[in-house]
Amino acid sequence: MSSDITDRVNRRAFLAAAGGGGVVGLSGCVGFGGGGDGGDGGDGSGGDSGTDDGSDGGDGGSQDTIVFGQPGALTGSFDFLQPGVSQAADAAVSHINDAGGVLGAELELVRRDTGVDPQEARTVATQLVENDDAAAIVGLFSSEINPLWDFLQDLQTPVVTPWPGSTFLDTRGGDKGTADDVSDDEWVWRTVVGDTVHTAGSAVYALEEGYDTLGVINGNTEGERSYVEGFLSVYEENGGTVAERVEVELGSSSYQSALSRLFDADFDAFLVSMPQESAITALSDWSDGGYGRQPILSDTLAQQAVIDQVGSDLHGAWVASPGRSGPSYDAFESVYTEHGDAEINGWTPPSWDAVQVTALAIERAGEASPEAIQRNLGPVSRGEGTVVSTFAEGKEALANGEEITYEGAATPVNFTEHGNVFGSVTISTAESGGFTETTEVPAEDVREYVAEGDY
Amino acid sequence: MGLLQELVFGLVTGSYIAIAAIGFTLIYGIVNMINFAYGEYISLGAFIGFLAANTLPGPLPVAVVAAMIGGGVVSIVLARGFFTPINQTGPVPMLLTSIGLGIALRNGIRLVGGRSARYFETDTSTFRFDALPDIPIGPVDLLGGFFVTSEHLIVIGSAAAVFAAVHLLLTRTDVGIAMRAMGDDESLARVRGIDTQLIRDSVWILAGVLAGLAGVLMAVQTNVSADTGYSHILQILSAAILGGAGSPYGAILGAYVIGLVLAVSTAFLPSSMTGLSSAMAFVILIAVLLVKPSGIAGTEVREA
Repeated sequence: MSSDITDRVNRRAFLAAAGGGGVVGLSGCVGFGGGGDGGDGGDGSGGDSGTDDGSDGGDGGSQDTIVFGQPGALTGSFDFLQPGVSQAADAAVSHINDAGGVLGAELELVRRDTGVDPQEARTVATQLVENDDAAAIVGLFSSEINPLWDFLQDLQTPVVTPWPGSTFLDTRGGDKGTADDVSDDEWVWRTVVGDTVHTAGSAVYALEEGYDTLGVINGNTEGERSYVEGFLSVYEENGGTVAERVEVELGSSSYQSALSRLFDADFDAFLVSMPQESAITALSDWSDGGYGRQPILSDTLAQQAVIDQVGSDLHGAWVASPGRSGPSYDAFESVYTEHGDAEINGWTPPSWDAVQVTALAIERAGEASPEAIQRNLGPVSRGEGTVVSTFAEGKEALANGEEITYEGAATPVNFTEHGNVFGSVTISTAESGGFTETTEVPAEDVREYVAEGDY
Repeated sequence: MGLLQELVFGLVTGSYIAIAAIGFTLIYGIVNMINFAYGEYISLGAFIGFLAANTLPGPLPVAVVAAMIGGGVVSIVLARGFFTPINQTGPVPMLLTSIGLGIALRNGIRLVGGRSARYFETDTSTFRFDALPDIPIGPVDLLGGFFVTSEHLIVIGSAAAVFAAVHLLLTRTDVGIAMRAMGDDESLARVRGIDTQLIRDSVWILAGVLAGLAGVLMAVQTNVSADTGYSHILQILSAAILGGAGSPYGAILGAYVIGLVLAVSTAFLPSSMTGLSSAMAFVILIAVLLVKPSGIAGTEVREA
């Protein structure tokens, strides 16, 4: 009998110990905000090794390190754009630390790969906030933000991203013009011009050039559809006609059937909105088939590789992309070129702007909590204060008790109530040596086609 | 919109799929496993071919041969390393192993090969046949002018050569006849003195050779990347199942059915549905399996 009791006690003790050990073990696995091991998805370009001890990046103004998380396309369909974006972010972090850091703390960037996959992006965003203690997230694509919208609102960490063009964000995001009241805020801001703006510029340019009827071939993902919808809304409202539209799956070995169908219709020019690799296959098929007519390419296709692989048939094709020349482009470029030789693309200066404006928001707030950043992104970007073009200038002005207005490398970064920016649109034409900038559509011209409050 | 032109496109797409599907279905029929890593075998073949094209002297066919040899070597090495030791565990553990191996290989290729797509330098000629008369029936033109490119002809020609070679192998050689015997009944084949491990190795090598060829052909049309083969694995799997899993002749038939459905559905579906052409191929697959679960060629579907 006694042995039974002893056995029972031992069993209870064992279960208690096992349960306690399990809880401890589980808490170690899940992590509660500390002990981040740094970014393991970094590309080795620096700034991706979080060394925090779990006590920083939080809400104080006295920490040694402040962390920004950068979900990146280190793999996937848009990985060819990531080197420029990474280099710009790293250059911005370096510039900020050279200027004494944010609130005197060293700024670190933890970069993790999402592969532009929404599920992976959700995991990465959680890791960045929970494990790496990121005070803000300076990345995420349209294809990731749109399906994760509710999740990102629940996360309550500012996402200041250089990537998304989606029209989905035209009326979502930002502080709704009430900086001090976060109750109506949505936690996404973008430092790149939305598709609505540069597709409007592209559509206006097409009509000005006399292309009144259009064929469209686009991929079946959110980003490609959004680009086409943005283009067509302005194109059709201003007298253009779409003769045929064909949507295709990405990654196919051939697009000949889709092209055959498209070019059965009668039109002047055709719009291609696909990621680079699929677009090269489709445009090579177009060249082989001798279909002709004027190609208009989506902004991601302004790459030398596209011309190299498709060949001379593509000469004369044009691309409308967000203008790269904001008020402080020169300041950006001089720092950027010191940090590597990655090619500058349409998302590179916005990446610099995202880090700069977020750091300035912290500097103005005097603390690095997500809510403080959210409250101050509007005031440092659209106020009537001293115009600054870099973090260093902004830090000095704020130290002097002045209000500031950051003017960026890509755009003036005057965040609208929905967290969007306006900028000029650059038209580039394919030639043998690459895409050459031929025309610039000023921001004011494009703004005519975007209603107040709708962006 | 000429139906003849769509048939040409369908034949080309079917040919890519058929070459790979033969290798895939031979593994299924004889080794008795679904090899989900086969897409990565194709990618490896594409990389080997690309490497050969840029290092070895000679025209593209030299690179194709190198890719086929390399594919065969890679396949047998991977089989000996990962599948042969678990031959006796049954199809499910082998299936799971192949999924894990595929993920590891894909990421390994990405790590070593880099993230940028690479491209074969090829010149393409286009041959037009515009003199054919139109035979319109409603919106569909049954004949009409069409074009083929040199790439199309190479792909279709390569597929025809593979079909002939595989047919001769399976019907005229001891190894091929032993493969068919093993496909029917492995135990009986072993009792009759067939070295079953040798035949398994032969199948792995043959499947690797075909993956190498398919990899280069796909890469010439698209690009060389870690996803070159992976992006086609569902079509290959579907072709094998549609034709009758385990039957190389069925796989060929299934591949062309899928290729033609892809082409024709893209051409004739309503505008809002053109992005669903792959889904149409799978609808056909489901419909065929509902009517004839053993697939078009009628080979028994094994439990997996």
